[in-house]
Amino acid sequence: MHIAVLAKVVPDYEVPSMDFELSNGRAHERFSRMMGLYDENAIETGIQLKDKTGSSLTLISYGLDSDVQFLRKGVAMGADKLVLVKGTSDDAAVIAQNIKQAVEHLGDVDLILAGQQSADMDRGVVPGILAQMLGAAFVPQVGYIESAADQWKVSQMTATGRRELEFNGLGVLSITSIPENVPRIPAVRAIFGAKKKPVVKLDGIDQGKMALAEISVEIPKIESVCEFIDAEDPNEAVKTLLSRLTEERYI
Amino acid sequence: MARIPYWNISYGVIIDLLAIPVFLIFVYGLYLQWQLIKKGQLRVIPSITKVFQGIGTFRPGAFFMRGILNPKIYRKPASGVAHGCVFWGMALLFVGTNLVILNILFGLPVFTGAFNRWFMSFTLDLAGLLVLGGIVFFLLRRQFMPDRLKIPEARTGFVLVSSLLGVLIITGFVIEGARLCANTPEAGAFVGNFLAASVISQTSALQIHTMTWWVHGLLALFFVAYIPFSPLVHIILAPVNSGFADPSPGVKMGVMDFSAFDDEDAEELPALGADKLADFTRKRFLDFASCLWCGRCQEACPAHNTQKPLSPKGVIVTLAQKLAAGEMEDSVMETLSMEAIFNCTTCAACMEVCPVSINQPKTIMRFRQNLVMEQGQMPELMGKAITSLEQRSHPFFGTGSGAAEWRKDLEVPKFEAGKTEYLLWIGCSITYEQRAWTIGRAMVNILKSAHVSFGILEDSRCTGDPAKQMGNEFLFAEIAQQNIDDFSALGIQKIITMCPHCYNSFTRHYPKMGGQYEVIPHASFIRTLVDDKKLQLDRNAQTITYHDPCYLGRRNGVYDDPRNVIASVGNLVEMPRNKNESFCCGGGGGNYWAEETGTRINQARAGEALGTDADAIAVACPFCLLMLTDGVKKYTEEIKAFDIAEIVEKCLPDMAEG
Repeated sequence: MHIAVLAKVVPDYEVPSMDFELSNGRAHERFSRMMGLYDENAIETGIQLKDKTGSSLTLISYGLDSDVQFLRKGVAMGADKLVLVKGTSDDAAVIAQNIKQAVEHLGDVDLILAGQQSADMDRGVVPGILAQMLGAAFVPQVGYIESAADQWKVSQMTATGRRELEFNGLGVLSITSIPENVPRIPAVRAIFGAKKKPVVKLDGIDQGKMALAEISVEIPKIESVCEFIDAEDPNEAVKTLLSRLTEERYI
Repeated sequence: MARIPYWNISYGVIIDLLAIPVFLIFVYGLYLQWQLIKKGQLRVIPSITKVFQGIGTFRPGAFFMRGILNPKIYRKPASGVAHGCVFWGMALLFVGTNLVILNILFGLPVFTGAFNRWFMSFTLDLAGLLVLGGIVFFLLRRQFMPDRLKIPEARTGFVLVSSLLGVLIITGFVIEGARLCANTPEAGAFVGNFLAASVISQTSALQIHTMTWWVHGLLALFFVAYIPFSPLVHIILAPVNSGFADPSPGVKMGVMDFSAFDDEDAEELPALGADKLADFTRKRFLDFASCLWCGRCQEACPAHNTQKPLSPKGVIVTLAQKLAAGEMEDSVMETLSMEAIFNCTTCAACMEVCPVSINQPKTIMRFRQNLVMEQGQMPELMGKAITSLEQRSHPFFGTGSGAAEWRKDLEVPKFEAGKTEYLLWIGCSITYEQRAWTIGRAMVNILKSAHVSFGILEDSRCTGDPAKQMGNEFLFAEIAQQNIDDFSALGIQKIITMCPHCYNSFTRHYPKMGGQYEVIPHASFIRTLVDDKKLQLDRNAQTITYHDPCYLGRRNGVYDDPRNVIASVGNLVEMPRNKNESFCCGGGGGNYWAEETGTRINQARAGEALGTDADAIAVACPFCLLMLTDGVKKYTEEIKAFDIAEIVEKCLPDMAEG
């Protein structure tokens, strides 16, 4: 069995809003780069599945040569190899097309996992488009996966509950964050071992773009407005605060 | 009448002859101890060639001062005095016994004149009484044990050796009393004279003397032979362990070399940290063998004091038991829990109070290193901090602070190669924790006020200390090497630190990686500025208590400089636990990123600080400031904790941010 996990290198997703700035419509280059948080959840899920089923696990990424140093963490977590498709497009269809190329290059992939959304674009659409391109089943927001006979049993975790699904054949699952897939800290031996694992680099293709044009990108201006809650005791203060937050539609 | 050797004893030389095999048994017992210790890993110190038997460098001064004189033992007055009575009493009796042997062999005139009266009679009688008094205390204490002795478990064997020693002393006195009863009273021998006059009858004196002499002699031989096989072996191991102990205060973890992991030809990769007894060095084995299970370490431990699973005594006892049983390869982590191992705040209070110079934190840290670097296991919040440190070069995941926000609207010079004298090292906590911003701002204003040539780095940095304290030596080495390379490029030679953790890294670990700097903690630097009259401060009547940060105090011996600074602006009030006995804030060892069980350590310490009724709680560490600021909230909404730089800044005349 062969599991592929998609991972994307993104700018620091924890840059404080006061410090955030754009450069050419994207996060400034000065911010650290790292794998997306949901992608690490997907890798962790993949490794646990690999250990349970005795599968092999390949990390697939679309990005720059310089991303390899960050992707090695995923390899150190337990992947067997890395496939990087080189490219810079932000177009979801182009990205999916390039990932499809990597999947076809591998040839024997049985299951594809991805983070539920990237930490930079926050769209969560690439796995769906990829599934459509591959003619595979697509399940978003997956928490738990089990391999049973020739079937995959998956649990979709939504804000309102849990849905159990099953399917045959190739599937693309976007993975959400659950307590069981907190990304592991790679052991030192694994970090050094990751340097020796194979990295396959494929030239990307730039076709199949969506009919979209980016006109502008803006980030919200940070404003600080202070409002004192007048209350006799902490309980009353909490009630008032909750009601104010609800009124303002923050919660 | 002068004493005559073997008076009233026939064939007394038998005891002397038996002393030879007894001595051999004693030596054999010590040899067995060495055989156990020898199973530990050899200690390799590249910079030091003289590593005695793979244990370390032996320091006779420490052997004598820490091992023999052992001032730490007296920190507990009752048991300290009892130990002193037994140890020094026995030392005198040992000298007396040897003088008797010299008298027998060479006729050394020890039984005549004033020497006989004041030493051989009076002093040795007094010594015997002191030993007896100490033994009575120890036997009573074994009956009514304090928690520190019995939790998690008490060491057995003390009652037997104490009773044996007590019988030896009593029979010694009876021999003397019977001898004097049969002869004449002897000036100075006040115990013997008393027994002769009041207890022993003249008719049976000769018989009692003979019988007791043989019992005493044979028991003494058994006692000596038994020492290496009993807990009393600590009279040998403890001073030796002290002789091999690191002379610098606090825990010195050293740095790890990871080059073997990159070496394609490396045949065997070293184990990282320790998972089993066999992973420890001979020095640690000596620690385990020397431990008396006295529990002073756990009594001082902030984790144990606040109902957390960690007991430093428990860790060492577990390893001592495995050592005694020869269980070298069993995973010790099955006995100790991961939670306990990460409870350690690395405050070094345990090793500070240990009377036999055991380095408990180093043992605990070795387990932590193994969990993190070999097994990738650590508590979730610490894992997030480590990941953030790896990804962003700072451990403050989820921070709302941007890298330059701490110095917003404040003009701060950048370090310029060849122009600036001091690098003002900001560090991660002052950059990314809003409450700590003002430490950096205050220090900038102080340095400007004193016209010091200083500058900061362009970007925010961390020394890597949090990684090291959480057990990730590999990440620490990467960060430290990057800093050292950058410092070299900038020609940095002098560094002012505001965080003792950074100070500790720069002074203890960076030099071993090629980073040699003159590093000054900000409290010491401010003191120098005040002493040199470069800072004019307005002193006021405020009372200030000072919390000693573990990494500045116990680990680096900086106690007086911050106190002198406080005395120059207000009135210092000491907390009950201060200086080397200071109680940790709870944030060390990566526990700033921990979800605590039991009482929160910072709340315990804040309560103690507030108990002084001081107007302010001064600290000289941003982590302590953050922990105590939070701890104080349990008792009052008032802001009471301040960094020493904040306090000094407020006392600058016409203070205004530049």
